[in-house]
Amino acid sequence: MVSVTDLQTMYEQMVTARHYEERLVDEYLVGKQPAFDISAGPIPGELHLAAGHEASGAGVCMHLRDDDTVTAPHRPHHIAIAKGVDLKRMTAEIFGRKTGLCRGKGGHMHLFDPDVNFACSGIIAQGCPPAVGAAMAAKKRNTDSVAVAFLGEGAIDQGGFLESLNLAAVHDLPVVFVVEDNDWAISMPKDRVTDVQNGAQRAAGFDLPGVRIDSDDATAVYEAAGEAVMRARDGNGPTLIEVQVHRRMGHFMGDAEAYRPEADIDRAKQRDSIERLAEDLRSHGVTDDELDEIRERAHERVEEAISWAKEQPEPDPEEAYENVFTNPPAQAATDGGSAADASGDADETGGDN
Amino acid sequence: MATESRDYTEATETDRELTMSRAMVEAIAWEMRENEEVFYMGEDVADYGGIFSSTTGLLDEFGRDRVMDVPISETAYLGAAVGAAQAGMRPIAELMFVDFFGVAMDQIYNNMAKNTYMSGGSFSVPMVLTTAVGGTYNDAGQHSQTLYGTFAHLPGMKVVVPSTAYDAKGLMHSAIRDDDPVVYMFHKRLMGLGWMPSPSGPKTGVPKDDYTIPFGEADVKRPGDDVTVVTLGLHVHRAMEAAEQLDDDGIDAEVIDLRTLVPLDTETVLDSVRKTGKLLVVDEDYQSFGVTGEIIARAAEGALDDLSAVKRLAIPDVPIPYARSLEDEVNPGTDDIAAAVRELHE
Amino acid sequence: MSDAVDVNSTDSWPDDADDVAEGYLANWFVREGSAVDEGETLCEIQVEKVSIDVAAPATGAVTEILVAEGGDFDRGDVLARVQPSA
Repeated sequence: MVSVTDLQTMYEQMVTARHYEERLVDEYLVGKQPAFDISAGPIPGELHLAAGHEASGAGVCMHLRDDDTVTAPHRPHHIAIAKGVDLKRMTAEIFGRKTGLCRGKGGHMHLFDPDVNFACSGIIAQGCPPAVGAAMAAKKRNTDSVAVAFLGEGAIDQGGFLESLNLAAVHDLPVVFVVEDNDWAISMPKDRVTDVQNGAQRAAGFDLPGVRIDSDDATAVYEAAGEAVMRARDGNGPTLIEVQVHRRMGHFMGDAEAYRPEADIDRAKQRDSIERLAEDLRSHGVTDDELDEIRERAHERVEEAISWAKEQPEPDPEEAYENVFTNPPAQAATDGGSAADASGDADETGGDN
Repeated sequence: MATESRDYTEATETDRELTMSRAMVEAIAWEMRENEEVFYMGEDVADYGGIFSSTTGLLDEFGRDRVMDVPISETAYLGAAVGAAQAGMRPIAELMFVDFFGVAMDQIYNNMAKNTYMSGGSFSVPMVLTTAVGGTYNDAGQHSQTLYGTFAHLPGMKVVVPSTAYDAKGLMHSAIRDDDPVVYMFHKRLMGLGWMPSPSGPKTGVPKDDYTIPFGEADVKRPGDDVTVVTLGLHVHRAMEAAEQLDDDGIDAEVIDLRTLVPLDTETVLDSVRKTGKLLVVDEDYQSFGVTGEIIARAAEGALDDLSAVKRLAIPDVPIPYARSLEDEVNPGTDDIAAAVRELHE
Repeated sequence: MSDAVDVNSTDSWPDDADDVAEGYLANWFVREGSAVDEGETLCEIQVEKVSIDVAAPATGAVTEILVAEGGDFDRGDVLARVQPSA
């Protein structure tokens, strides 16, 4: 059974993630109104927000340690927060700053934090194979680390996902696949792309357990994930979990969702996993004051991260030439004729082979 | 920059000669003994020992946990190699034929090649992607390509193409020890397989001890004053044969084996071109937008005033056909190289 | 000085190829004059598409190579001779 302390921790992570997305909306729209120019403002480019997905990230990551690996898809913020990714450096990355997690080379859907073994792939389902590889490494090294691959329900028809289920199953690898079903693959509803409405059924084809959680109930996610993570840690192989979540903010910022019935949008907003968890906490005797306190703490943390990020310097243009390799060639060999790039590359690690 | 290579001296000091496949395997086995984080996975690499003998004998010594047969599922296992490498292991993953890259290219070029850069250097991907390349044995358009240019074009991968057993071993040691992803492309015709006889060049003396060949150092296989021939892989041997023929006619060709495409040893090419003024580039990849064009562009950028003539020989932008007469037509042969050098020399 | 030792193809013949009479010499890894250690692979032969490594019968020097690379031979043919070192 989940303890009240764990429920409070999950609640804090979930309200942090929700407030984070709400605040990013404000920041993202700066410079993009009235005319929407995707490359304008302090946060340029695409922005896929995860409001409505919080239960999945929080419920799963409660069971993970820093040495466990997580790969996330293009909608990663709530998962990163729950996994313990450095919020300030993550925010600086989203703002494209020099001190960002990826020194301004990744952006919001390519967040990497080696301290907590967190990585992303912006390509649908393609974070699954590296998660399988991290699990393979854990098994070869005889550690009890596990890996978790998060993906959306739009990814369950993708080869990378299906191949990963098979490879993980045949080698009994310690990996958990978590499908976040928000009903929509951009504009494609699930029933128009697959006849399998319960994505967890995919597991049967690979002879591994599949669990579907029909409501975005953080407690239910916590319980199912606990079992799956324990199974993986104990050397009993992979599990597939599908969690029903809701997309509250469109596929990406600027998505007018003209394809989506009004009733569906309303339903998504009514079914709020955070409000549901607050109810649970109240029934466990947690007072409204205590919940307010958690929310306040979460909001402060978000504000602090955003203010810090905005003060960070932008990368120097020359840094574009760095980090192509960990062990860069000693000479300007791959520079396509421009002498500029070798300089930055070569000094970093000494450049010796 | 290597101009006159010391490799030959070392190579001839040993009594033992090896095929390229045996030299490769010797390096892999040595690294696996030294470092428990090194493992090999691919299709038919365990019991079979690799379709092109890239892993012969490894299963017996290291067992199934370190020499892993995997499902025919390139996206999953190449991506898994990326994940294991990011976790600090040193996987070697084999793509049976380079032509199969299409079913798994996302893992190769979006994850393997880019994760170092996109993480701002906080992650490394120290893996080797081994793959068989090349034609000349009538296997047609989906099993005969080299695709050198495709891999070298996309940033983030080091690309290695050995042409001799000596280089195959030294480059493999370097590849496994490198902290970056290395694509190690071995030419089937050079492996020394009983069922696909090699030309005489790739079997060389190979020291028993480990040694490395640094990336980015081309090898001048034959010094010459009249025409520079830049090539790699199988065509190193065809160019050497052509150079011997030309020598009889008093034409002195310099033959350069690039050995690695990324990094590319531009200086050795430029030094040679400054001397000869004439450049022929020979490649077994498609002609347009590829290796031949790149080498000529670098020569033009770096030594335009010294260049008086250039030519290139490559697969002339058609898929590689099956029938002998057709494949021989499109794959540059020794005579084609000799004829091109003669034209340049005129 | 002891006599040179024959490297007889029969000694490396696969057990399940008793009914096969011919082999093919795929690769030599030594030349005449090469120093070899006992057990070191001298050459690779093929019998019925199966590759077999032929080991040096003694430590010493390869004095003669009797079947050329790429050549066929009959079961029982001597492939090479090794002069054991003193």
